[in-house]
Amino acid sequence: MLENTKCECGHQNPPDTALCESCGKPLGTEALTDGPLEMRYDGVARRSQKSNPNLLDRIWSFFSSVKVAVVLIVITLIAAIFGTILPQENAFINFDPSWYEEHYGLAGKIYYMLGFSRTYESWWFITLLVMIGASLVICSLDRVVPLYRALNKQQVRKHIQFLTRQRVTYAADLEDDDAEWMRKLAEQFRKRRFRVRVEDNALLAEKNRFSRWGPYINHVGLIIFLLAVLARAIPGWQLDEYVGVREGEIAHIPETNYYVKNLDFEVEFYSDDELPERLKGTLRPKRFVTKAELYVCEANCGSTALEPVLRKVKEHDIVVNDPLEYKGLKLYQFDYDTTPRLKTIRPVLVDLKSGETYGPFELSILEPEPEYELGPYRLKLITRFLDFTVNADGVPGNKSSQPNAPAFLFLIEGPDLPEGGETFFYFPIPTDRERFGQDLINGELAERFDFRVTDMAHVEFLGDVSYLNVRVDRALPYIFAGAFISLIGLVMGFYWQHRRVWLRIDDGRLTLGAHTNKNWYGLRSEVAAALRSAGLEADPKSLDNGGKRR
Amino acid sequence: MNWLSISSGAFLVAFVLYCAAFLFYVIAVIGRKWKNRDPQHHLRKWGRIAFICSSLGLAAHLAFFFTRWAGAGHIPASNMYEFMTLLGMMIMIAFTVLYAIYRAPLLGMFALPLTILIIAYAAVFPSEVQPLVPSLQSNWLRLHVTGAALGEAFFAVGFAAGLMYLLRVTDYNDKSASARRSQFWLEFSLYVLVVVAGFIITVFAFRGAGYEATFLREELTIDAYGNEQWTRETIEYQMPPIVKPHGSEPVSVRPFLGLDRPLFEAPAWMQGVNAGRKFNTVIWSVISGTILYGLLRLAARRPLGAVIHPLLEGIDPEDLDEISYRAIAIGFPIFTLGALIFAMIWAEQAWGRFWGWDPKEVWALITWLFYSAYLHLRLSHGWHGLRSSWLSVIGFLIVMFTLIGVNLIIAGLHSYAGVS
Repeated sequence: MLENTKCECGHQNPPDTALCESCGKPLGTEALTDGPLEMRYDGVARRSQKSNPNLLDRIWSFFSSVKVAVVLIVITLIAAIFGTILPQENAFINFDPSWYEEHYGLAGKIYYMLGFSRTYESWWFITLLVMIGASLVICSLDRVVPLYRALNKQQVRKHIQFLTRQRVTYAADLEDDDAEWMRKLAEQFRKRRFRVRVEDNALLAEKNRFSRWGPYINHVGLIIFLLAVLARAIPGWQLDEYVGVREGEIAHIPETNYYVKNLDFEVEFYSDDELPERLKGTLRPKRFVTKAELYVCEANCGSTALEPVLRKVKEHDIVVNDPLEYKGLKLYQFDYDTTPRLKTIRPVLVDLKSGETYGPFELSILEPEPEYELGPYRLKLITRFLDFTVNADGVPGNKSSQPNAPAFLFLIEGPDLPEGGETFFYFPIPTDRERFGQDLINGELAERFDFRVTDMAHVEFLGDVSYLNVRVDRALPYIFAGAFISLIGLVMGFYWQHRRVWLRIDDGRLTLGAHTNKNWYGLRSEVAAALRSAGLEADPKSLDNGGKRR
Repeated sequence: MNWLSISSGAFLVAFVLYCAAFLFYVIAVIGRKWKNRDPQHHLRKWGRIAFICSSLGLAAHLAFFFTRWAGAGHIPASNMYEFMTLLGMMIMIAFTVLYAIYRAPLLGMFALPLTILIIAYAAVFPSEVQPLVPSLQSNWLRLHVTGAALGEAFFAVGFAAGLMYLLRVTDYNDKSASARRSQFWLEFSLYVLVVVAGFIITVFAFRGAGYEATFLREELTIDAYGNEQWTRETIEYQMPPIVKPHGSEPVSVRPFLGLDRPLFEAPAWMQGVNAGRKFNTVIWSVISGTILYGLLRLAARRPLGAVIHPLLEGIDPEDLDEISYRAIAIGFPIFTLGALIFAMIWAEQAWGRFWGWDPKEVWALITWLFYSAYLHLRLSHGWHGLRSSWLSVIGFLIVMFTLIGVNLIIAGLHSYAGVS
């Protein structure tokens, strides 16, 4: 049998309504007690409170619970703390799994094994965020719809119990004419920027109702934010690459159709007069700037044989905090390398026995010629190393592709040399020559020949390398839009309060009830002030009817 | 006379005025019970004197801030000294806002000592103006730091009012288990505040005495090419070494009360150059804080909470509860904007990502999550009074950990913040 849910005022309420939607008379369990009313969402029935729930209803009511939301927040909070105990994997450019054990012993190993080294990318952390998102959506929908209905069709004249059981109440016997009092009180509330409605000896004064929507707007913003964060997983929405460009050179930006040219890189340090006593003599960077040009490739882009056809689309001085931006692509100043490195040298070949010199000849470090003719001698390049090293097996090799320690292995042919020539190792940088023992390697030949650079004018250096971080993040506008919507909601919700005052005059007796969603102190002072101005003495504290605070 | 010397003068003036204002607030509150006076009248009169004094202090503090800004050429919010003085100033602003709403002079009795403690802590750090490294040259960063500090300042006032609430309602005659637990934790909170004071006093005492000890740490590392390399690090202590840095040898230790060499060595996992020194400082702070606390207990012969509790009699605890909540409610949107949104905009501009899970960022998020849980519990779950006040105390602890603890213990991108 259906429950009779009709109120005495004649309004048909949905089942489980706590306060009649029309006159506010307490119904159901609320009618059994006589303490202050539970005014949350104006006592309307919410979907989550449905009796006989099915599975969907159960899921709905789980996520619609604020208690569940708080538990989710607290779990996320604790999980986030775990991720800050040790550095996360993403803090390393080249990650080595044994790092945790090496640095923190067994504890580090366990931390790594349990996956806390990737806390924020872990499935359980992301699940928590998704659950918070679900809770945001369902909590909001569960409340905002009935609340909107309740606030949109408010009755002015409320049941007397609805007034006396508010948390702020007042009653007094009036001496003069009822209508005159009503006019006076209405004026007082209007003065305080309430919207006032008066109907047959009852009054409803209301202000800042919009503040009730603050939490929901905040939640909508947060949902947009979370969705935007998840959307970053869409292919093509995110790019995070690094590109190193030497001054005067142009480099392809990985995974894009763009090229970047480094016209000039400069690093500036603070001078000693700009630094305080304690920091004098230290190198404190002031500014790094890469004068960059961005090109888009229009033809022959993937080709190795043909030169790509490039068109300049943008130029910008890239500084920290001021990236180059072009159609969602951003180039950030990331790092730089100003170590001087050789570009070309012009050495002479010296015959140590006769003192005769041959050359100079132009030796490019990066692009050497296969052969050089020097007087009667001929140099054939066997191999070249850019960053010379000898590995554990005693085999020479390259440590990196940067010309940090160039070395050349020549075959020298000419008079007084055996048929087929003799090999000669040449390290252009003097410290390398010492370090790797050039004379030792070359043996007897070292007593006959040497390469010498006689003048610094014969040395040319490579430009500085600027490292740029290349980013694309298509979700960014949505992320910031979400964040700002959320902020607007917070401001609406916290800096204004929804205040309502109901009063009715029955045969010379004034009964007043007032409600706010928060900040009762302010409501009491405001009601007391309005009553006082109308000529009724009331102390703010005495209006308090006890009950739950929020 | 230049901007910077005016600035440091103003700082001193602000400090003295804050101390005086604190005294006046105490007189306003405890003097109500003195003979031959009307309590309401006394409170109004002394409350006004104290508020004028603390407002003058704030004016001097603002003068310090703006003259330093003029002298340095950038907003003074770029190292620990500047940030902590800024936080102190923001707490005074937040206090003034709450005072304007609630007219509660009693709040000054707790907000002022908190400000004094924070700016005294600031003075521990080197105060010279440092030119900015490139990543800090950003207007968004300035907005971020100022906004975050203002939001946190409101949380601090929420904490002050919450602590007052707890001191007001805790019954020191009640011997039940729950009352004892409440008394214990409240006393412990006060003890922690005394330890912070102990830390500041110790730093200035040894600094005044010019104490110094030096350690040398030599470490042999073998690089990827098999080259042996000795790194030598000199570690200087400004406090007598109870604990020495791991793997170091004393070079010079000035004897202090017969202590002429370190008593023990820091454990191996404290690897950072400064880890040993920080650990030593923590030990000293606990020792001096405990001695200070012991002296206070000896003088009072009862728990400090029991000393303060009767002073708060006659104050409606519900008002304190509401002030505490209101401060947090005002601070929350400001914190969201300053500590998270502006920070994301800046991070995006400086590093190309709006969020990087850097420990400082994560802790800002933790703070935000904590206060959002607080607000949900209070606004939809009716947590108020005791529970809400304890949450405001824990929340402030999280704020302070985010500001100081993360820099001391966990390093990250924000480690530039100049904790030395």
